Amino acid sequence: MGLKKTYAGPEGRPVPVLAGVDLEIASGEFVAVAGPSGSGKSTLLNLLGLLEPPDAGEVWLGEERVSHLGRRGQARVRGASIGYVFQSFLLLSGLTALDNVLLAARYVKRDRAEARRDALALLARMAVAHRKDHYPTQLSGGEQQRVAYCRAVLNRPPVVLADEPTGNLDDHHAQAILGELRQLAAERRATVLLVTHRREAQAGADRVLYLSGGRLLSQPPASVA
Amino acid sequence: MRLSALFPRGYAFTVIGIAVGVAGLVALGAMAERITRFIEGGDRFVLGQISIAGEGMGMGTGFTAGGILPASRIAEIAAVAGVSGVQAQVMLPLNTSTSHFLTLTQELIMGMDLSVPMPNRHYREFPVRAGRSLRAGDRRATVLGSDFAASRHLAVGDTVALGGQDFTIVGILEKTFTAPDRFALVPIEDARDLWLRRDPLLVQAFGAGGMRRADLNTGAAVGWRDGEDPDALARRIQSTVKGLNVTIPGELSQLLRQSTAFFSALLLGIGALGLLIGGLSLANTVTAAVFERIRDFGIKRALGATDLDLLGEVLGEGLRVSLWGGGAGVLLALAIGTAVDSRLLRDGQQLFLFSPRLLAFALVFSVALGALAAGYATLRIARLSPAEAIRRGT
Repeated sequence: MGLKKTYAGPEGRPVPVLAGVDLEIASGEFVAVAGPSGSGKSTLLNLLGLLEPPDAGEVWLGEERVSHLGRRGQARVRGASIGYVFQSFLLLSGLTALDNVLLAARYVKRDRAEARRDALALLARMAVAHRKDHYPTQLSGGEQQRVAYCRAVLNRPPVVLADEPTGNLDDHHAQAILGELRQLAAERRATVLLVTHRREAQAGADRVLYLSGGRLLSQPPASVA
Repeated sequence: MRLSALFPRGYAFTVIGIAVGVAGLVALGAMAERITRFIEGGDRFVLGQISIAGEGMGMGTGFTAGGILPASRIAEIAAVAGVSGVQAQVMLPLNTSTSHFLTLTQELIMGMDLSVPMPNRHYREFPVRAGRSLRAGDRRATVLGSDFAASRHLAVGDTVALGGQDFTIVGILEKTFTAPDRFALVPIEDARDLWLRRDPLLVQAFGAGGMRRADLNTGAAVGWRDGEDPDALARRIQSTVKGLNVTIPGELSQLLRQSTAFFSALLLGIGALGLLIGGLSLANTVTAAVFERIRDFGIKRALGATDLDLLGEVLGEGLRVSLWGGGAGVLLALAIGTAVDSRLLRDGQQLFLFSPRLLAFALVFSVALGALAAGYATLRIARLSPAEAIRRGT
């Protein structure tokens, strides 16, 4: 609620990105946020995912005001309640595909054997189980994104945030990832927030919002419409 | 588990960087250890006995430069209260063209009166590595210092020419890292023969009468009874027996330390330089390695890692990397030092001393500093938000 964020530009001049964003998403809802590059979509996702602090405003998860938790509390929320899918995958180059997925379980102290079973099942579901012992550089872009998706949902987080998850994929792999995100919301009642500038990625979303001038709009701005 | 499985993946260059720094530290430290042991060894020897020569200047060298010390004087010294034993000695330079002033490193023939036990409190007997010590009744037999023997590839049973006379080697001393490493110990009667062969003037004096073979001594080592203050006893001998050059152990030790003050300063500088170079290299390498992984830390924090989780992981990796780097550095320094010393040993020299305490210190130092550097870098990174860490590392 009322999220604001300003970055320092060249020569220290402030560059406002979010000018007071209010957004409420229900459990099981699939919301897409559209907007051109530089409109602040990723910043919004970072604030909602506790990846960086807002200058003003609050983030609530259920009944908990998570934006005001301490560092340890926010780490707990990130590990247990939020799953991220990044545009550039962000897999750790020194770990195999399986170990990258299992990394999500490490910090929430899950039972390792159980987490491994779940990770293998997810990799099989995403058709990359045969690549489990490969390192990221040995995987294609589509395979890396599917591994990153497995990592994001391994702990069955109630909130999944996806930042241009199809930006580096071909149509086939993009549809596979989008299908999984829709299924998460529909079947597991997860809250899914997708930011994208691709129109086809917005299809099937319960709501499509538009970020323009640092504010969220329910209708596309005149220049887009 | 294979050793390679324990190697921290992706840290090869970091390990090499640390190894080079630690190798520098260990090599410089080994040089400092060598100098320290030399000074300490010399100090230990001179503090274990009172060294006495006859008054004036003469052929006597080593610890007892001075005039001839006749048997009558030795008997007078033995009668001074507090003296526990006197051993007559003849010290001659092996090579007479060598300056007598280079007493710390020159090769010496040391003739010892084997009928008297060694009075030196710190060396009741020179430690023998191979063969045996000299015994009363031995003639044309010698026990060689380790460097003396190694530089000539001599072993027990071989023959060595000393002052133009052949001697059978009956023993080789353990390495002491100080003066005795370059000694050839012989029975005093053989040393007297060598002295007479070398010094025609002495033969004339000897032939003119008034002197017996027992008077041909360049000096004597004097021991003291328990509870006796050696410096006070040395002064008492000086005042009681006329015609002596008495070295006061405390003053000689001080003199030795003053004359080696340059080496002490050098050693301090080498040690400080080693710590600085090795430490900076290691800390810089580990810190850079951690900062290189800033993106990984951002991702891990996005996945729920706390500051403590990251610190634990980084310290674990830092310890492993430092141990590998430190171990490799120690091995590298050992390899270089051994190669250099094997070449220098041909001239009876040794540049490095890799003592266990030095190697242990190098490993502990590298691990501790590595952990400290890793911890510092992690705390710096932990200040960033996960998004900022990912942005900076991408």
